[in-house]
Amino acid sequence: MSPAPHTRKGRSRRPKVALFVTCLADVFRPSVAFASLALLKAAGCRVSVPEAQTCCGQPGYNSGDYRGARDVAKRVIGMLENADYVVAPSGSCAGMIVKHYPSLLEGEWKERAQALASRTWEICSFLTDVMPLAAVDQAPEAALTRRRIAYHDSCAGLRELNIREQPRRLLRKRAGVETVELEKRDVCCGFGGTFCAKMPEISATMASEKLRDAIDSGADMLVGGDLGCLLSLAGRASREGIYLEFRHVVELIHDQRSKEGIGASNANETDTQ
Amino acid sequence: MDDNKGAQSIIEARVRTSSRRADPRDIAHELRAIGRGPAARSRHRDTHVTFLANVLDNHGDARGVENRSGAVACIGDYVARRFGRRKVVAGKDARLAALPWREAGLLPRFGVVDSGDKVSVSYARRAIAETGSIVLESGRDSPVSNSLLAENHIVLVDAADVYDRLEDAWHSGNTDSNRPRCLQIISGPSSTADIALNMVYGAQGPKAWLVILIATDGPGLAKTARDVAAIRARPGARS
Amino acid sequence: MKQTSATFLQNAHEAMLQPQRSVNRQQLGTMMPQLRDSGVASFGDFDALRSHVSEVRTHTLDHLDHYLDSYVKQATQNGNEVHFARDGDELNRLVSDICQRHEARKIVKGKSMVTEETALNDHLMAEGFQVTETDLGEYILQEAGETPSHIVGPALHKPEAEIRDLFLDRHDLGDRELGDAAALVAEARGLLRQRFLDADVGIIGANALIAESGYSLLVTNEGNGDLCANLPPVLIVCTTLERLLPRFEDAMDLLRLLARSATGQPISCYSTLYSGPRRDGEEDGPLETHIILLDNRRTDILASDYREMLHCVRCGACLNHCPVYVAAGGHAYGWVYPGPMGSILTPLLTSLEASHDLPNACTACGRCEEVCPANIALPDLLRDLRQEEFLTQLTPRRWRLGMRAHAWLLTTPGLYRALTTVAVRAMTWLARGRGSLHRLPFAKGWSTARDCPAPESATTFMHQYNSLRKSRHGR
Repeated sequence: MSPAPHTRKGRSRRPKVALFVTCLADVFRPSVAFASLALLKAAGCRVSVPEAQTCCGQPGYNSGDYRGARDVAKRVIGMLENADYVVAPSGSCAGMIVKHYPSLLEGEWKERAQALASRTWEICSFLTDVMPLAAVDQAPEAALTRRRIAYHDSCAGLRELNIREQPRRLLRKRAGVETVELEKRDVCCGFGGTFCAKMPEISATMASEKLRDAIDSGADMLVGGDLGCLLSLAGRASREGIYLEFRHVVELIHDQRSKEGIGASNANETDTQ
Repeated sequence: MDDNKGAQSIIEARVRTSSRRADPRDIAHELRAIGRGPAARSRHRDTHVTFLANVLDNHGDARGVENRSGAVACIGDYVARRFGRRKVVAGKDARLAALPWREAGLLPRFGVVDSGDKVSVSYARRAIAETGSIVLESGRDSPVSNSLLAENHIVLVDAADVYDRLEDAWHSGNTDSNRPRCLQIISGPSSTADIALNMVYGAQGPKAWLVILIATDGPGLAKTARDVAAIRARPGARS
Repeated sequence: MKQTSATFLQNAHEAMLQPQRSVNRQQLGTMMPQLRDSGVASFGDFDALRSHVSEVRTHTLDHLDHYLDSYVKQATQNGNEVHFARDGDELNRLVSDICQRHEARKIVKGKSMVTEETALNDHLMAEGFQVTETDLGEYILQEAGETPSHIVGPALHKPEAEIRDLFLDRHDLGDRELGDAAALVAEARGLLRQRFLDADVGIIGANALIAESGYSLLVTNEGNGDLCANLPPVLIVCTTLERLLPRFEDAMDLLRLLARSATGQPISCYSTLYSGPRRDGEEDGPLETHIILLDNRRTDILASDYREMLHCVRCGACLNHCPVYVAAGGHAYGWVYPGPMGSILTPLLTSLEASHDLPNACTACGRCEEVCPANIALPDLLRDLRQEEFLTQLTPRRWRLGMRAHAWLLTTPGLYRALTTVAVRAMTWLARGRGSLHRLPFAKGWSTARDCPAPESATTFMHQYNSLRKSRHGR
């Protein structure tokens, strides 16, 4: 394995990380992006947030618009390839860059895509396998250790990037949290990007199964590494009237987080059980 | 069928356009270069123990006897306990005819099994340890019906005929005279889970399957096999 | 079988309305993966086996003309009459011609997806033959007038109670009662046994054809394949070109993959090879044997970018592991092949127009690919079909325009920022302090089944970050 870019020439310097915040964090949950920023700095990185970023282009790609996806891919590659690493708080966005950009492109662009892919990481795996975050000194937060927290593995993170242990290890190390496991943890939650809009009823059935699994596990909070899954599950839970707290995993690893979970409101605070 | 010759040439032509059209020797060389596939993990270092343990896992009954007298005693015992009567049908395989049936008080009918017969006895051509299977080849002396029509199927296997892998089920040699019409690799009684995943035996063929291994240390092998089979608890369809 | 793939969503809707069947499907989706896991684990290096077989299959398809030639020669030498059929109608006619030649009346059949493709039973029955499906699941469906919902367990959607009622209704039971599943099986066994004994013709499929020796291979757990192939005086094997394998050992490797992936067993109860007609002195076996090699678009697929789909061994693992299949049920797909493999094969064997929903019935979760014993990149092929829909304008106009606009927007950051700013502000306003929006404008698809969580704040991250950066630099 070639040496990490920031240790070349015999000198070790802080790696330059380009943070790809993801379109969903940008619109729905900025605190995830801020938490990612803070965590990467705490791990010893110099972090930049490329200004021209929009989205990785998965929705179009998965809907069969390969030409549009190629246009987006080229722009993203051009924007990110100068950094030592690219990190995203999403298994599916990182997976798009790592697995699918190279297969979409040919020739010189393919090579550039492969080079970028080799330096692109989902955030939990980055903070475990590349720039490990130290464990926290202080005692774990009581508010968290009292909760029963289940971790939801997103399909892309799991199958495209082999992310399974890293988030759980970080939760243990940084938040003192031992997650409960869902019985059907390998089964898709039904989000699937545009799928949930194309086939809402089937998607909802799958989401309901996932929510049932979470409740059966005794969890009162569900965390995951992908906002797509979490927004979709929170939305379904809200429609069904199920009470579960939904958060992105970086929120628990970071010591500051948004007061409310995904889809919860200030007004509902008094409704909590 | 002239019509069909037309269809044949059209289809063959279409296949050819997608083919790499290589020389047969190159094709054979390319295939050889791919090598062999991996073998299944072995349950036990002894091939015979593995074989019997897998027979047990295949919902078969597995016994070991020391010789042919032991074999007929085992058959007699099995039949008496299940049916009281001592009627069996055996194929015309010479090895079956040569068994000392009288010692166990059995008088088999040698021939083809009828649909109403309860017990049929076959002598396996080979057995495969990897999958717990017995191999039967159809022929003058071994009608295929004998493995299918009776409710209980008893199969005798000689120790020397037990092989490790599925590839050993048939040694083709290079002659086509060595091709049995019907080569059966049987790995259990007839079964189905088609009704709401409930496992039921005797779906069309035999309900019960007994394999008797004839080996000098037969009984010992069978006992070890039972211990080995007991270790692995297999999840299965609701029974 | 009448194809209803065009109404996939409606079919799925009806299936999801049935609570007991939905529960049964969830059980199937939990149990079958457990069985497969256990079967695969006990093998050892299953991935090495998959890679090996994949290499052999690729090699075989690369030289399919050579292996087809060899098979036809050997099979003919073994005493079979070998026929070719370009499409389903041709196969059906060949079969009925053979039956008519022998003045046959009664036919017994093993389970064959190929004959479902061609609707052989309908053709034979229209010609006046009595056809009995002998696979228990297929027999049940034949009696019930239903179509298969799964390629390995075709009647698994039917609860036991329904099957009991069916037999009570259709069988001549007299005073006999029917107890549990074992009693139902025994009842069917009795009836089918007589059909085997009375049959004039047996029709089966093949899991593999061995080029070096002209053997065909058929696996069953029940043994009904062997009964069809040995009792009646005439045997017809209906199969397709991609079943070819070079050698006996390749067929054995296929057996290793197939049963473990389908049911977790190390091997099916009956794995039998047939070479041809009865030999001199044999007491049973067919007097005359026919092999019909069907194309039905296989050569099209061979020449296309979907060629690897021909590696499919019909194990059904992808169905069992697909959460969309489990949620919607097999009948939703509307034809012979459901689940991920069906969503690719149906467009390829019928038309994309008639089945355009099927490639979209996918979240790209990748579970199917993970368990496919043939290592087929199913999610990629499904996406490629979605691309075809996009390019041939089968995708609804709204979606196509939306996607074009989306791609353009993503490459125009200034406009993207402006739009996301507006969207966040609008959603925050619509939410009015609540955690979620019940209705989302321009997103009816999402809103029919779920609320939309409100944005965390009234501004986007990029807006907040840029403001922070400006204020820092503006010190």
